[in-house]
Amino acid sequence: MIVCVAVVGHQNNPLYLESFTGGDDALKLHHIVHCSLDVIDERVNNPKRSASTLNETFLGLLYPTENYKVYGYLTNTKVKLIMVTTDLDVKDADVRSFFRKFHAAYVDAVSNPFHVPGKKITSNSFSERVGTIVKSFGHSMSL
Amino acid sequence: MGREVAESCIDGVIIEMVSAYSTRFYSSKPDVAARRIEAIGYQVGHQLSERYTMERPRFADHLEAIKFICKDFWTEVFKKQIDNLKTNHRGTFVLQDNHFRWLTRISLDPAVVANTEAASEGESGADSGAQMTSMLLYFPCGIIRGALTNLGIPCAVSADMSNLPACKFPCDTRQLVVLVF
Amino acid sequence: MANYLAQFQSIKSSCDRLVVSIEDVSDLWPSIKEGLEARLPLKKATLNNRTRNPVHVENLPAEFILTTDARLRSRFPQEQYLFWFREPYATIVLVSCEDLDEFKTILKPRLKLIVQNEEKEWFIVFVSKADPSNDQATKMAKKVYARLEVDFNTKKRERCCKYDLHGPEANFWEDLDLKLAECIRNTLDKRVQFYEDEIRKLTEQRFMPIWNFCNFFILKESVAFMFEMANLHEDALREYDELELCYSETAGTPGKHRDFGGIDNGDDQAALLNPGFKQLTLIVQDDCFREFEFRQYIFACQAKLLFKLGRPLEVATRGHSFVISFSKILAMHENALPFCFREVWVITACLALLKSTTSHYDGGVMSPDIEREFYRLQGDLYSLSRVKFMRLAYLIGFGHEIEKSPANSAALSMLPWPKPPIWPALSPDSSADVLAKEKMILQSKPREKHFNIQRKVLPLEPSLLLREANRRRAFLSVGNISELVEGHANDGSGPDANSRLTSKNPSYMSRTFSGPTISESRDRPMTLSEVYVAAEYSLKLTVSDPDLLNSLSSLEEFEKKYMELTKGAADNYHKSWWKRHGVVLDGEIAALHFKKGEIDQAAKSYEKVCALYSGEGWHELLAEILPNLAECQKILNDEAGYLSSCVRLLSLDSGLFLTKERQLFQSELVRLAHGEMKHPVPLDVSSLITFYGTAGPALELCDGDPGVLRVTVWSGFPDEIVLENLNLTLSASFGADEGVKPIKSAEKHVLKPGKNIITLDLPPQKPGSYVLGALTGQIGHLQFRSHGFSKAGPADSDDFMSYEKPTRPVLKVLSPRPLVDITCAVSSALLMNELQWIGLIIKPLDYSLKGGILHIDAGPGLKIEESHLIEIEGHDPAEGFEKVPIEGGKVALPDWASDVTTILWFPVRAIDENIARGTSSALLQKPSIVDGMRMIALKLDFGAFRNQNFERTIAVTFTDPFHVTTHLTDKSTDGTLLLQVMLQSQVKAALNINDAQLDLQDGFEHVAKTDRQPTFRTFPLVISPSSKAGILFTVSLSTIEEETPQQDSILNLKYGISGNRTVGAHAPILANGEGSEEMVFKVALALQRPVLDPCVAVGFLPFSSDCLRVGQLVNVRWRIERLKNPETDVSASCRDEVLYEVEAQPQNWMVAGRKRGHVSLSTAQGSRIEITVTCIPLVSGYVHPPQLGLPEVGEQNISCNPAGPHLVCVLPPTLSSSYCIPA
Repeated sequence: MIVCVAVVGHQNNPLYLESFTGGDDALKLHHIVHCSLDVIDERVNNPKRSASTLNETFLGLLYPTENYKVYGYLTNTKVKLIMVTTDLDVKDADVRSFFRKFHAAYVDAVSNPFHVPGKKITSNSFSERVGTIVKSFGHSMSL
Repeated sequence: MGREVAESCIDGVIIEMVSAYSTRFYSSKPDVAARRIEAIGYQVGHQLSERYTMERPRFADHLEAIKFICKDFWTEVFKKQIDNLKTNHRGTFVLQDNHFRWLTRISLDPAVVANTEAASEGESGADSGAQMTSMLLYFPCGIIRGALTNLGIPCAVSADMSNLPACKFPCDTRQLVVLVF
Repeated sequence: MANYLAQFQSIKSSCDRLVVSIEDVSDLWPSIKEGLEARLPLKKATLNNRTRNPVHVENLPAEFILTTDARLRSRFPQEQYLFWFREPYATIVLVSCEDLDEFKTILKPRLKLIVQNEEKEWFIVFVSKADPSNDQATKMAKKVYARLEVDFNTKKRERCCKYDLHGPEANFWEDLDLKLAECIRNTLDKRVQFYEDEIRKLTEQRFMPIWNFCNFFILKESVAFMFEMANLHEDALREYDELELCYSETAGTPGKHRDFGGIDNGDDQAALLNPGFKQLTLIVQDDCFREFEFRQYIFACQAKLLFKLGRPLEVATRGHSFVISFSKILAMHENALPFCFREVWVITACLALLKSTTSHYDGGVMSPDIEREFYRLQGDLYSLSRVKFMRLAYLIGFGHEIEKSPANSAALSMLPWPKPPIWPALSPDSSADVLAKEKMILQSKPREKHFNIQRKVLPLEPSLLLREANRRRAFLSVGNISELVEGHANDGSGPDANSRLTSKNPSYMSRTFSGPTISESRDRPMTLSEVYVAAEYSLKLTVSDPDLLNSLSSLEEFEKKYMELTKGAADNYHKSWWKRHGVVLDGEIAALHFKKGEIDQAAKSYEKVCALYSGEGWHELLAEILPNLAECQKILNDEAGYLSSCVRLLSLDSGLFLTKERQLFQSELVRLAHGEMKHPVPLDVSSLITFYGTAGPALELCDGDPGVLRVTVWSGFPDEIVLENLNLTLSASFGADEGVKPIKSAEKHVLKPGKNIITLDLPPQKPGSYVLGALTGQIGHLQFRSHGFSKAGPADSDDFMSYEKPTRPVLKVLSPRPLVDITCAVSSALLMNELQWIGLIIKPLDYSLKGGILHIDAGPGLKIEESHLIEIEGHDPAEGFEKVPIEGGKVALPDWASDVTTILWFPVRAIDENIARGTSSALLQKPSIVDGMRMIALKLDFGAFRNQNFERTIAVTFTDPFHVTTHLTDKSTDGTLLLQVMLQSQVKAALNINDAQLDLQDGFEHVAKTDRQPTFRTFPLVISPSSKAGILFTVSLSTIEEETPQQDSILNLKYGISGNRTVGAHAPILANGEGSEEMVFKVALALQRPVLDPCVAVGFLPFSSDCLRVGQLVNVRWRIERLKNPETDVSASCRDEVLYEVEAQPQNWMVAGRKRGHVSLSTAQGSRIEITVTCIPLVSGYVHPPQLGLPEVGEQNISCNPAGPHLVCVLPPTLSSSYCIPA
């Protein structure tokens, strides 16, 4: 299942972070997301290593650990979308589609004229939408 | 993607906005009015660029981004592509649109234009008309600046409408605006 | 074939280099041995790799072995064939012969016999012992060698070379090398070819039941080994990779279950770098190998080759992924393995990898990003082992000592518990340990955070260990958990435990005691301490590595190891530019330092972490770590740091802390601020106290005015905060002078949380517009400073879009301009010597004159009557009317008059002592304006602090009511004269004359001698403004002599005036107010007696030239004629000469001749004389010509012609004519 999704601004500042663990241990997810920025930096700065996915928005698996996976997505406007999942066999296509939806939601959220660029996203509708996307991701995995 | 509105509404809104700012809110200070309008354009451009770059790979360099602005972005916003893109390879790009959509319906009074061209000093109604037009142009300038900035190219955009309805937008990317919060 | 495995292994380990066999036909070896072996290892050779491409290899190790050697003899053919890789790669035949026949007969057949075996790769070395001096022998040797060549060389291949014992040819050795290399190449190709055919055959039947992996393995590894011997490591590596692939493809096949391995003692220490760790025979299992060992073996071989290839980076890369994947495999077989085997293996594996890779890694040669990659992998390995190590430590009860940081929590709480088939049970004799653990648990209470921040501690376990352990004990019924909970609640293992348990699912409470009642201890659910002890016990069984055992033995050891691992990870991450990973781990190190009491190091690391988090705005994480930093700083007594930490804590999103916590931060800050600090530091509270101009337009001030500025200050403090004082700097937004002007406000302000409005009074500023600069001030003894503009300037709510700092001017100081104007209501023609009103029109130019004070300073000849009140009236009296006193020339303006135009009337009296003179109508002299003019200096102080002032001097002219002229209208023969007095009004007011008296001078008297009333009674006589009136007097000459001769006649006029002060002259003010009472105007008149008995006549002769011009000499001539002899006063005029005197107005004339002198005139009647005086007219216009007077002759005896004064016309100078006016 998806444990956490996050939006990180172009200055690596968190814009939105939602954890789905249920427990109040969101802090560790903050930590995971924050550290995954290291990988994104590396991928972006010397894309040689990810030559195949050169300049693709979808950065793929950022790092595999035994217990969870972190996927990344970097928009053209240097906004990072990050997803942490605990199920260890994930189909790439699923993740891609997930990010596509997630990105769309993000774009709609920031297109809100009352949203201040570079500030945290505090729109309920956005978080609801993200919630449904996350759920649907779970489903697509199941069936 | 998304819903669409009639173009006439856009025109109406823009004209109304410009007139509201430049004649009602800040009638005394045109520069402030201009800044406000430009700022609105900036936000719009910021958001549009976010949206229109959704399904595409990231840009390798500035030129790609600018090309994107000239082609796809322009097409999305103005239903056509930029006609001519010049650069001095020193960070200044000039986007030229020979038939800028938002100016197609604007016409200066030819008589007035004539006599201003005749009379070198143009204190007549022509440059008031020109002023109005330039007011209208602050909005697209803001859009371009917002889009470019959001794509990581902070710049200053001006507009040059020496011969309507053609319009040039010089973008100066040399000066670096550092966005700090 | 699999049973050759052992042999294979031994052979493989025994021989490590290529073998070249020496066929020593004619016992030459000893003599040539060292010569040959000196050539080894083979400098360079060109071999073919597995893709049959030539590859240059260098320093190819090889060994010469005589064919007679035991090692090459006694081998069964199929053995040879099986272990072909060890067979000689080349055969060198050493021959020597001096005699051709001997060669033909003996040697040749023998050689043929040797070389007939086609398997072999051979060549012949002909050794000639011939001494070069002995040319006979040499010739012979040559011959034989030639023969040899003929016999054994073929077209395509040279198989012979000649070696001269005494001084061999230069190119011999190269030749030898080449031949040798050639042989080796051919052999290698042949054998590889052979093996690959075999392998292919085998591979085809891979999925058949008869498939035997071991055979495949032997073949494959033989090839690999050959390549390795031939220094073709790449190819060897590739062989191993293929082998591994094939293994994972076949070994994974379902069907016959193989056991996994790893159960032997010492297996827990990863052997992934040590190929010789176990005999292959030990790990073979019917037709395959045990996965556990074999995978490690393969990896070890690969690693070995990689190291040979000098690619430690790749070892690390492969190693890391290998460890991770292998640990998964271990997890699969976990219940067959000892307790925590997996964790232990991973730890050892990582450490081993780290050790070897670092030892083989020689930096420098690599490109920076490769280098970074390497370090990153190191870091990964370190942190991986670190995590596993922490897990073990937690299992044996060191969990309380592990910092419950986000990083650790993320690592551990997502890492599942080890899943042994059943959880290790408590050994019977371990009660002591249990007690010890109990004590440890009790002693170690969860460290509470500074500022006693209440936080839910982050979990370090995926699920509650207690439940996990007890659940995995097969016989324990779940019901007993509940009692376990009660039993557990008070064993001090942290509040999170049971809260988590209950929160997990409260249904445990309901399902109580369903299980069998437990009597004997071993069925009782274990308490946490028991779990720990049991775990520790069985862990000790698992771990064979003494080092690891040691580091788990005690808390100190644990911490040492923990520190080592963490440091290693952190450093490597730093080197690999993964700054976030590195810095976070620094935080962990800091925590450990803190525990050990090395506070300053802890503080340093914590600072790094905080800097990272706050730099990128990860406030949640910052809020976790910052209090620790603050605590360190407090302990270190680093007040500055502590303060700034408090500020930062306060400026975090208020949601991150409870209100009372934030209040505590504030109280700390305030305490420090008021306590005396050794080194008071300026405090930057930009994030905490922000400020912006209040909404609406900027405050506008006139130049030089002070004002009051309202600033909205937003305070982020949870409580009210007292600011001892407050300064605000304004900076001129686009003023030429970039002067920042601090505005001080001494009094203390109390900021409520949230919005405050603060008013500062502004000293006068230079003209320009100003924006807010910085806010400084004092909290306690502490200077604070804030640059924080809140973007919340409501007026500019859309400024953020342009990312501009809101530079909305808050103050505009206008450039100087007139603020008030004071003019005179009436400035001319007021009555001289009378008390008159002067009106000042005070006109504020949209600026309030509130509290203004007007200084009136009357100049000389003017006196302000302070006894009277000043009258102030609005422009129209409706606006107000007021009488105010004036003291010392000061008038305070009333408030109502501060904004409207007012007229201020004040009474003055112009004094003029000398009495007015009437003039004869003949000479037109008007009284000059100047002597009626008086000056009044005005000074108005106004503005909020009387800082503005306005000064002006106004001129008012005073005048007499009348201008009087006299005219002698008629002279009757009886000597009565008609004297006409003309009065011209000089004021803009109606004058009415009530009475007129004329006191005549000597020699005159009124005709009506009875009284001195005028002769007619038409009074009052009204004279309207600037009109004339005349009065006639009849007077007659008198002869009465008086002893006090009166020179002038005085005309007394009693008159009244009815005028309006707004127009001009008006009735003088009186003390009792009522205005119109009679005034007296005296004017002196000079009357001339008419000439009665002329005895001398003076005639003014007309000028010679018809017109006079300025600057032209002109002769003025008079004729004097004696009319008759004077009978009286002989003494005076009966002499025959007269004294004359010329009088000329010096401003009009310059007299060139004598002014005064005697001329002789005979006393005879009718005698005449002419006097000429040369003059120069100085001014043009009508002027009185010079006059001739005869002082010795009485006035009355001279008849003049013309009688009265007359005028002559002087023209201006002709432009051409140049003249000079003598000084």
